Amino acid sequence: MRLLSIALVAAALAGCATFEPPKPWEKGNLAKPDMQFDYDRLDVKTQQHIYTSKEAATGGYGVGGGGCGCN
Amino acid sequence: MVSAEAAVAVTKDQSAIGPLLAAALALPGVMPSAAHAQSAPDKGIFEAQYLNYRDWQPGRNRMTVWAPAFYALVPLSDTWVVEGGMVYDSMSGASPLYFNVLSGASIGDYRTAGDVKVTKYVGNTAVSLGGFVSSEQDFLSRGGSLNVQFFSEDRNRTWLLGVAGNNDRINATNGVAPNSKRNSLEFVVGITQALSPNDIVQSNLTYYTGHGYYSDPYKPLDTRPTTRETWAWLTRYNHYFVDADATLKLGYRLLLDSFGSTSNMFEAAWAQALPWGFTVTPGLRFYTQTSADFYMNPPFPRGFVEGQDYSADTRLASFGAITAGMIVGKTLWDGWYVSLRADYYRQDPDWQIFGTGSPGIQTFSARWLQLNITKNF
Repeated sequence: MRLLSIALVAAALAGCATFEPPKPWEKGNLAKPDMQFDYDRLDVKTQQHIYTSKEAATGGYGVGGGGCGCN
Repeated sequence: MVSAEAAVAVTKDQSAIGPLLAAALALPGVMPSAAHAQSAPDKGIFEAQYLNYRDWQPGRNRMTVWAPAFYALVPLSDTWVVEGGMVYDSMSGASPLYFNVLSGASIGDYRTAGDVKVTKYVGNTAVSLGGFVSSEQDFLSRGGSLNVQFFSEDRNRTWLLGVAGNNDRINATNGVAPNSKRNSLEFVVGITQALSPNDIVQSNLTYYTGHGYYSDPYKPLDTRPTTRETWAWLTRYNHYFVDADATLKLGYRLLLDSFGSTSNMFEAAWAQALPWGFTVTPGLRFYTQTSADFYMNPPFPRGFVEGQDYSADTRLASFGAITAGMIVGKTLWDGWYVSLRADYYRQDPDWQIFGTGSPGIQTFSARWLQLNITKNF
């Protein structure tokens, strides 16, 4: 698990600068809606459904969304 | 749909933190106000959405969709949360039989889908059980999911492990392949890491495996493999610019499909806060895919061999696509928020950048407008 953690983070951050993780009192900006992934879940679902019906590829945003007969 | 949530929450046990931190958390803008946090949310959400979608190819309109949808999240206690949603799609128009040749008759269909998820927060873990169903005139999909999130002690990192199972039944109205089935499993492992007070990154790896009926019963000669596997690697990164009061949102997805198609997706958005509670978010998305192994170029039915896989569905062709969109949001009074979204989408075989676009197919365009009204309570 730890190795996978390191690998994923390293892959995601390849080429980026060094960061200092935030202290508990430094998380105000991270809590802003726009800084959160998939904050508006209804919107995310809708956008993914549109692309699923028009392109060959789908997925990557988590599991459990249900299928459709559109592709 | 579940994903590892942003690592933004502060533990609820403020007694263990100390009075200084508790005082700091009381400062405006410090305590997370959003419900999507690493501890159980203490606020509910109700959201209503209305979508109007339309697509076309040169000289001919294709499908039009009207879709109202709803979503609600309700904390039941300090550690239990239930959320769910539903959508009703009403579709009409013309669909391609093969390549860009459209069916003569107008098609009308509807889709009703709903999902519910219950989450229990225990210490540094959250466990979610979900169920979903989607029903159309000729299609029924049912499934369930289990997602587990693990939070680090400092709440800067979240691990996500998830599995979902899906059972689909296909009963085409033209009688092709009656009572066909498709079963699938999906697994996800993901990590969300707060890198700094203004940077956060997420990376998800998803594996899909399924077997059953994958062909399109409404397209003549369409015969696809009866098994499918995909690997999707999605990485997203957000950076907050303090001086500009704006957020840069970047995303990349690589997807490998056993059908033979490989796709790359890049997206970027800039969420700019403005005076009087307005937010403007322009966004761009670029997508490119190679064709499936069994997709054959025009003219129809060149390349078809009895007993072998074959498709003339342009969605399996080699092309690129660009989406340009804009969201305008406005914070209202008493927890209300309203937003209007507009997107324009275009597929073009000449925009395939990791290979050669499929010859002999037309461009495809779409636009959608979406109104969302949200109440936080």
